[in-house]
Amino acid sequence: MTEERFRTLADAHGGDIGRWPAADQAAARAFAAGQAMLAAQILAEAGRLDVLLFADRAVAPSAELREAIIARAPTGRAGRPRRWAMGAGLGLGLAAACAAGVAAGVLLAPPSVVRLLAGAPSPPADDVSGLVAPAGQAGGV
Amino acid sequence: MTPGGADPDDELVARAGRGDAAAVRALVARKLGRVLALAERLLGDAAEAEDVAQETFLRVWRHAAAWRPGRAKFDTWLHRVALNLCYDRLRRRRERPTAEPPDQPDPGPAPDRGLEAEDVGRRVRAALSALPERQREAIVLCHYQALGNIEAAGLMGVSVEALESLLARGRRALRGALADLAGPH
Repeated sequence: MTEERFRTLADAHGGDIGRWPAADQAAARAFAAGQAMLAAQILAEAGRLDVLLFADRAVAPSAELREAIIARAPTGRAGRPRRWAMGAGLGLGLAAACAAGVAAGVLLAPPSVVRLLAGAPSPPADDVSGLVAPAGQAGGV
Repeated sequence: MTPGGADPDDELVARAGRGDAAAVRALVARKLGRVLALAERLLGDAAEAEDVAQETFLRVWRHAAAWRPGRAKFDTWLHRVALNLCYDRLRRRRERPTAEPPDQPDPGPAPDRGLEAEDVGRRVRAALSALPERQREAIVLCHYQALGNIEAAGLMGVSVEALESLLARGRRALRGALADLAGPH
């Protein structure tokens, strides 16, 4: 490596050969071994700016920022109830409430009405299915 | 790719993509500081930098499940995403010349005390902010983000020689701006 190239690299990358491009490091070290005084002077000059640059320390991310980012990761939703599940729960709750209402109505209804209800055909099993969002339509992601 | 061939982030990204909560946390712990520092130094605005960090990770979460090891180094891809988000914001600033510039750190020390490390840091940040955009970008990528010259040149879309020139000019300008601090020892 020539002195000019050594200076160019120090100008661009600073005073630590270990931070220079990997492809140039061996040749730079060989130059520094052969021209110890000159290389030390060039590196020291470049290194003074490095020291200053490292005084500008980045602020550590806040816990709030970190948690906000994690919460939006795919796993961030794992602990929360999914929308379809909440819908299904609501549907089942409504269905249960309807059933309870019917039962209460039967208990409180006059006998004629009870007989009428008893003679009526049973409602189809899927009557309440519309209240329960199928998992396939969830869109809970 | 690292000299050994394997990307040290590949496994973590793959696990995060599969919804592994521990991997998500580990990936954020490993990369958030780097992304935030990059954006802060390029934009000179802490709040905007946080926005960029959030947007960058949203893209990470969107792509993690489909991440294919070996196609690109994750850290380089992450820098590409963050850089593009910073470019967008810098472009918007240029297009709105009347917009308020972001607050710059006060470059001077308090009059009643000497220069402390924090003061030096503020001076350096101010000098960095005053550099032409491409010089600042080169110094941030190579010096602060410790990216290799080929990687940084690729991200900036310039040749390695052009990157070296930007670095040298940037450092020269910084030496000039900080001459009172960088005097001969």
